[in-house]
Formats: sequence, C-alpha cells, structure tokens
Amino acid sequence: MRMQRYICTSLLLCFFTSLLQAYAYPEFYEYSRKVSGRAINCALCHSHGDGPEGNGAGQIGSLNKEEMERLMKARAAFEPNQKVDSPILNEFGDEIIHTLGKKKFLELKTHPQDFAKELGDAIDVDKDGIKDAEEFLDGTLPTNGENGHPLKLFFANLKKNIFHVIFAFLCVGLLFYGFAQWLVKIHIDAVLKEIKKE
Amino acid sequence: MKRLTMIADFLRARFPLEKMDLESMLMKKEVPVHKMSWAYYLGGLTLLFFTIQVITGLLLLFYYQPTVTEAYDSVKFITEKVPGGYVIRNMHVWASSAMILTAILHFLTTFAMKAFEKPREITWWSGLLLLFITFTFGFTGYLLPWHQLSVNATKVGLQFIGAVGPYLPGKLSELPNKLIEIIQGGASIGQETLSRFYAIHVVILPLAIFAILGLHLLSIQLHGMSQGTDDKFFRKEKFFPDFVVKDFSLWAITFFILFVLAITIPFDSFFAYPLMEPYNPLGSTPEGIKPEWYFYFIYYPMEMLPFWIILVISGVVMIVLFLVPRVFGGTDRKVLRFVASIAFLYFVIMTIFGEAIFNLVKGGY
Repeated sequence: MRMQRYICTSLLLCFFTSLLQAYAYPEFYEYSRKVSGRAINCALCHSHGDGPEGNGAGQIGSLNKEEMERLMKARAAFEPNQKVDSPILNEFGDEIIHTLGKKKFLELKTHPQDFAKELGDAIDVDKDGIKDAEEFLDGTLPTNGENGHPLKLFFANLKKNIFHVIFAFLCVGLLFYGFAQWLVKIHIDAVLKEIKKE
Repeated sequence: MKRLTMIADFLRARFPLEKMDLESMLMKKEVPVHKMSWAYYLGGLTLLFFTIQVITGLLLLFYYQPTVTEAYDSVKFITEKVPGGYVIRNMHVWASSAMILTAILHFLTTFAMKAFEKPREITWWSGLLLLFITFTFGFTGYLLPWHQLSVNATKVGLQFIGAVGPYLPGKLSELPNKLIEIIQGGASIGQETLSRFYAIHVVILPLAIFAILGLHLLSIQLHGMSQGTDDKFFRKEKFFPDFVVKDFSLWAITFFILFVLAITIPFDSFFAYPLMEPYNPLGSTPEGIKPEWYFYFIYYPMEMLPFWIILVISGVVMIVLFLVPRVFGGTDRKVLRFVASIAFLYFVIMTIFGEAIFNLVKGGY
C-alpha cells in the first residue's frame, strides 16, 4: 500500500514537473542571431532576459497560483486565435502563440527560417512601424519601439513625425533668415556711421 | 629676470592688448578664401554641438537620477514619459557623437593648415586640451544611463588604466590602480563611481571647458583665421557679416539635420537590445561590449597589440602633439596635409573596420 502511494506520488510529481518544464526555444534565437548578426537573448519573447527558468520576475519560480493557471492556459493554446496571456512571455511571445498556435510554433522549431513568413505582416506589438516578423529577422526587440533597424526606424518615424519635421524646417529657416537680416542691418548701420563720420 | 621678460614678451605677442576691441576682433577681421576654406567652419560646428549639449544636458538634469537604482529608470522615464524627452535625450546623444567627430576633424584640419604657427600656439594648446576634455565628456557620460553596455564598457576603459601599472618603475606602478580607485570611489564600479562620473560630467568638465574655450575663442579672435595655404595670393572675405552669416546658415542646416536624426533614429537602436538592459552586477557580461565608436581607434589596437607598444606610441604621440608648434613649425603645408590625411585614414579605418580587423587577427571574440 505504501509502495503504491510512493509510486503514485512520484508519477504525479513527474507529470507536474513536465508541465512546469521551461520551454525556451533556442532554435529561434539562434536563427535570428545568425541572420541579423546581432546579440540576442531570451527577452525577445520572454518576460525575463534569462528565459523562463529561475526565481526572478517573469520566471517560473516566482509565479503565484493565478499566474500558474495563466501559464497552463497559454501552454494549452495549441490552435491559433486563442487569447494568450502567459506570465513568462512578453507581448510578442503571447502574440506568437495567439497567431500561430502552440502546435504550429513547435513545428517551426525544425525550420525557424519559415517563422517570419508564418507570422505574417499583421503584428507590430510596439507600434514602431516595423513589423515584428521583420524585427525577428533584424535581431531587434519587437516590444521596444526604440529598438529596431536604424534605417527602417528612420523612414517609419519620418512618416510618423512629418508634421514636426516640416514645422522644425520652417522655424529654423525663418529664425536663420531673421537673424541673418539683423546681422546685415548691423553691418549696414556701421558702414553708414563710418561714411557719416568721414 | 631675463626669463620673466621672455615670458612677458611671449604673452604680449599672443594677447596683444591693442587688438582687444570690437573693431579689430569683429569688424576688421578677414577670412582667407581658398580650397581649404571649408575647414574654417569646423570649429564653429563643434561650438554649436557643445551649445546643444549644454542646453539638452541641462534639460535632462531635471529628470535624471544619478543613483544605481534609479538611473536606468529615470532615463527610461525621460524617453518614454516626459513630453519631448525622447527628442531631447536623442539630441544629446547624437550631438555628443557629432561634437567629437567635428572636434577631431577640426583638430586635423588645423594641423593640416598649419594654424598652430606663431602667434597661435596658445590656440593650438587650448584646442588640444578641449579635445581631451571632449573625449572625457564622452567617457563619463557613457556610464550615466547605467545599462549593461555603459557599465561594462566603463569597466573595460578603467582596466586599461590599470594595465599601465606594471610598466611603471617602483612605487609609481601602484599609481594607476590608486587612480582607478579614486575614479571608481571603491574596489568596483558602483554608486560611488556613478556619483563621481556624474559630478565630473555635469560640473567639473563644463567648468573646465568654459574656461579653456574662452581662452581658445579669445585667441582666435585676436589673431584671426590662419592663412591656411601656401599660396601667396588668395581672396579674403569679411568675417562680419559675410563669414558669420555663412557660419550661421551652416548652423541652421546642421541643427535641422540633428533634429531630424533625433526624432527619427534613437541612438540606442544601433546596439543589440541585451546591451541596453539595466546593468545586473550579478549577471554575466553580455557579448558585444565595447566602448563608443570614437574610442575604436585606440581600443582595437589595444586588443590586438602588446600593451607596451600602445603605451610607447601613445606617449610619443601625446608629447609630439603638445610640441607640434615647435616640431612642425618649419614644415611645408603639403607635408602637414599628408600627415593629417594618414591620421584621418587610420581613424576612419579603425572606426569602420576595426572590429573586422580584430576578428581577422584574433579569430573573433
């Protein structure tokens, strides 16, 4: 009887441990790093830069009961278009599971080069004007609007701030024109004064 | 007594009292016009960037918190929450790089144009000091955001000071480590370091730069722009208003470009995002730690060559730089232009291809 209880407890423990196992998928990071040439860490998709394992904020060891439930729910989202709010994933991580579904995401592990294509052009979590699929290929952080490919950010922000740019152009131009006129006037006055003196 | 008279004569020739009036320093001043005339605008551009640094720096002071627990968050707060904070911070960072670039170009063109000749030695020496202060501004300001890159790159910078120790004789060998302790304020980088770098960056260096800049500008206005060319016949234009108006038009264009850059490209976007995370003293050092781009010309050679070679070269270069008016006093401008071009080429190659050369030599990180 006691033996049976031990076996049952061990099996239950194994089951829960397997559920809690931290699934960080280095295949995607490695691919992003390879194509972009930039250093990548787990913060690409996870709440914590060191990944889901550990006791830090956004890591499995620190989760409370409610967060564990959310984690289980997120891990069970095998099909796309399910609401995902995982405590160990960031907005981009949640959006990946929401868009692709866990099943498809796991399938892509063997060919991460298709990940960006599968993710599509619809997602831009940080609304910086660069699609998250592109950010994945560029090795930049999809959840940070200030982190992106500099040239792409330039065009996206220029479009966004075109009014400010035109306004600044007019202000600087007018200010300079006025200032230059003022300097020329000072010069003319000085010359006239000299002529008068003579 | 003779020596005192000599010093007095030297100063009288460099600071002629009879020229210290508005008429001589502004109205009667003329600027040579030749193919190197563009170089006369570089000093003014450096001054513009410095002015922008002062104004944006003062605005950043309203929100920045110089403590290890709050520095990172305060910078984040400035960028994300403060109205206009994003542009102000980006302008400060972009202008710092631009200031260093124009200061280097100004320094090289001044050398190429032989603008250090008598009676302009004080202009040269003060300019050299301003260049060193500008680099120190960059080094101290780099730590303030307190992210992984800034703290770890500062550690690398300080390690180089420590590496000088073994090459010094006797008790002097302890001096670099003592110096590091003074700069750091302790055994390792922490709150004391941040406080000291902050004080140096926002109080000590600005005071020093204002004093030396005053001397530099006074010296320039007293002696006017140097001839800059070996040609005997060249046109001249009036400093006021012709040159001044052109100078201000360049300022206006540059300011506008800087504004567009600041509003469209966050300077941090050039770095991998793990480097921009808050500094974690317990975590491992992320890969890709290196100083700011304007230190590459010295950083990569340091990584590739034996340290003593760097030490000897740096020492010789420093001495020669201060002795330039004496060493190159009789040199032809063509030769000076060649030397400046080589130095510029070296700087560009090390800045752009330094990492590739390092990987080639050392086989990567």
